[in-house]
Amino acid sequence: MDFWLSYVTLAAIYVLLGLSTNLLVGIVGIFSVSQAAIFGVGAYIVAHFLMAADPISFLPALAIAAACCIALNVLVTLPSLRVSGDYFVVTSFGIQLLATAVFTNWTGGTGGANGLPGIPPPDLWHRPLEDAWQVMALCLAACVLGCVCFFLVMRAPYGRLLRAIREDELAVAAAGKNVLRAKVSAAALAGAFAGVAGGLYATFLSFIDPSSFDLDSSILLLTMVVVGGARTLVGSILGPFLLLALPQVLTMIDIPTTFAAAMRQLIYGVLLILFMLFRPQGLAGERL
Amino acid sequence: MLWLQLLVNGLVTGCALGVVAISFSLIYATTKLFHVAHAGVYTMSGYVAWSLASRGAPLIVAMVVAIAAATVLGALIQGQLYARLERRRATHLVVLIASLGVLAVIQNVLAALYTPNILQFDLPWAANVVSLGASVRLTWTQILTIAVSLAAFIGVIWFAHFTILGKRIRAVAANPFLAEITRLRPQSVYVIVMAIASAIVALPGVLVPLDLGLQPYGGVTPLLTATIAMIAGGVGSIGGAFLLAVAIAVLQNLSLLLIPGEWSIGITFFIFVIFMLFRPTGLFAAAR
Amino acid sequence: MLRKVGLAIAALAVGTIGGGTPGARAADPIQFGAILPLTGPGAVVGTQEQRGIQFAIDAINAKGGVQGHKITVLFEDNQAKPDVAVLSFNKLVDLQHVQMIFTGYSGPTLAMAPLATRKKILMVNAGAQADKLGTASPYLVNTLPSTGDEVKVISKYLIEQGKKNAAVLYENDAAGIGGRDDFVDLFPKAGGAILAQEPTQFGQTDYRPALLKLAAAKPDVMYVVITAGMVQLADQLKQMNPSFVTAGSTFMSDPAAIADPNSTGLIHTQVQIDAPPELSAAFKATYGADMDFFARQYYNAAQIILTTLDKVLTEKQAVTGENLRTALFAIRAFHGLIPMEFKTNTATVPISINMMKDGKDVTIKQVTAD
Repeated sequence: MDFWLSYVTLAAIYVLLGLSTNLLVGIVGIFSVSQAAIFGVGAYIVAHFLMAADPISFLPALAIAAACCIALNVLVTLPSLRVSGDYFVVTSFGIQLLATAVFTNWTGGTGGANGLPGIPPPDLWHRPLEDAWQVMALCLAACVLGCVCFFLVMRAPYGRLLRAIREDELAVAAAGKNVLRAKVSAAALAGAFAGVAGGLYATFLSFIDPSSFDLDSSILLLTMVVVGGARTLVGSILGPFLLLALPQVLTMIDIPTTFAAAMRQLIYGVLLILFMLFRPQGLAGERL
Repeated sequence: MLWLQLLVNGLVTGCALGVVAISFSLIYATTKLFHVAHAGVYTMSGYVAWSLASRGAPLIVAMVVAIAAATVLGALIQGQLYARLERRRATHLVVLIASLGVLAVIQNVLAALYTPNILQFDLPWAANVVSLGASVRLTWTQILTIAVSLAAFIGVIWFAHFTILGKRIRAVAANPFLAEITRLRPQSVYVIVMAIASAIVALPGVLVPLDLGLQPYGGVTPLLTATIAMIAGGVGSIGGAFLLAVAIAVLQNLSLLLIPGEWSIGITFFIFVIFMLFRPTGLFAAAR
Repeated sequence: MLRKVGLAIAALAVGTIGGGTPGARAADPIQFGAILPLTGPGAVVGTQEQRGIQFAIDAINAKGGVQGHKITVLFEDNQAKPDVAVLSFNKLVDLQHVQMIFTGYSGPTLAMAPLATRKKILMVNAGAQADKLGTASPYLVNTLPSTGDEVKVISKYLIEQGKKNAAVLYENDAAGIGGRDDFVDLFPKAGGAILAQEPTQFGQTDYRPALLKLAAAKPDVMYVVITAGMVQLADQLKQMNPSFVTAGSTFMSDPAAIADPNSTGLIHTQVQIDAPPELSAAFKATYGADMDFFARQYYNAAQIILTTLDKVLTEKQAVTGENLRTALFAIRAFHGLIPMEFKTNTATVPISINMMKDGKDVTIKQVTAD
């Protein structure tokens, strides 16, 4: 049972990340491969506060993490406003690699390459959630909240504004709308989602290290959004659930063990290529 | 003197990086595509050369075959994948993701065929040391790397400015729409450019592993650093890309005198991000 | 779209139903698990570990299994990542009901340790050496000493040889930093001094800048903690022609590095684990690769488990993690490829000091860790 619980819990956390990535990349059109870095910051902040000499409760720690991630995400997407889309790709890669360097080398703050073991489980108003069911329920609740938020935002005039910016930024600016503010607030919302996901992740696994927040993780997030479907709520849910299940499904297929694992990564790559060739909008998305 | 040896080592790695930068610059300036899979072509050429060298072929033969293999691979990716995506009017994001997929496929095929171990070329003469003065010692491989890289650099500049094909490529790069109308056939130019760039990148693709060993997953960081050099040097400027690549490598080496080694890559990307905020067009941007 | 979701769920369901059964009934195959890095940067080590286990299992199955039960080991790839390891752990235990899991790599093992305690699954580590592993879980046993033990041995030897000033080159990841921390702590306690330290990225084989910087501090000895790229390090050291001695731990004993003539003069502690020549030859014939340190370690670990399993079955007990663990500590002393004893969760094993010379690794001193 624990396997299913941990699968659903992780999927819920990744859905939040998927929403975050979808907001930035799919809807606003800011190409970001540094979402895993923000995710990591959220995780490390919550871990820090829960394990401090004077620990604080989970929800306030989560709030602090969300606030920091909002600020950070806005800061990190600022270059995209000055720099054209293709150049920003490299900047985003650079930001992710810089973040990985900080996670790995700032031993005082992040535990360095050894990571932070022994993170306590989440607690609601000082009542710890020890049970796997309870943790899953918490993550699902956060996930549902995120989805509702996303849905409402997309329905509102603000959502239409974001879509319009993607279609034709110049026209929107000419119509007198504040493009900069819209983009920045989308980045802020995306940051909040990622920060909350980070806090949940840290307390669920009870151990975090830089390898969970590196470039490969960012690319996995991108894959989830692309395969699940860009720009839609359903896509953000479908992508994480499917892609987390994929390695497990592939283990059912009999491949000689010597290169089974490389084969699986290869299949990921092939999937990306096939999707981009034949169904770039993903399973449930709109055209990227 | 410590700094002199560090400087010379930086020049060697910088020259190899410079060739990667100019090959990537050729592709990007012409097709405007962020061909991440270039790192895969780079890695593959090393493995092809190793396969031949370990069966007794002389290095020059191994290198020629590696160049041929890279050319074919590059042309294939462009012709079969990117051209198809272009016909379907895919956005750059879609192409980038497809390219990431190709990279994953190449890296994992290599890992499956050659195991993930770091492989070493078995050429005794390659590691023989030459002393220049009292404090500088270089291996023959390092000397060869500088010589070949400089030759490639000069060759590409001559090609771009003094041959008809080179001029045609520059015309297409400057204005693809006009090129289409004036029957310069951009699509076939793209294939030619990919083929040439892939051939060029095979040179460091063989020489760097000759010095430092072969690994399937090691191509991404040099590619990113080369891209930074390309952008900081100004897209479209071959000289800029090469010079900046050398400058970055030398700086990374010399920075060891001042800052702890684990931060040298982080600092590189940090400087780049600052660069993007204040001077996104690069130092030697080609006139637009 | 919904169809695709349905297909995925169906596939998962198939996998669930296809899971194994707990315990051991007459002639039922017994399943164990192994969570190792099979892709990504750790794959070099992980594949060898996998081969070592598989080699031992194939051998015992050829003889009819353990008391008539065939053994299968289910391999999972953790990509050297803790979160993937946790998912794999839960999958193996919940869906496939394994009661014993082989593990390697410190990060993922530490992440799984609390789970092993809670679910009473025996975990055997034969490759990771972080000091924390000794006390991470009562259900985690380590068949090799921690880096701290090896560092104590080499520090004492180096001081005896008059090498009192050291520089440290370490890989910037859990294994390297752990080794660096141990050396920086224990070498001064043995009477030495640390002059300089330089990190290097895992997989970054250009050591020249770091070596130059360390050499500038003029040490007597350079202590190296890297897990990959030994051949390149040896070559670049030779190029530099240094005046200091280079020392390391078991990490240094990469067969390719030993065979490289440029490695002559490198000394290192070696956790002793030898394989008889026929075994190595058979391994090479099967897998086309030398039976290196990790392959031998995991072959040995597999044998320990098989011996333990035999005892549990002889005493007609259910094959559970708890019973396996009790039996392992009851047996205490094992005579696989090398004699080892479990006085604590970490086995005591002889450590030798070796020097690489003209393509061979020669033992110059024997020590037993305690």
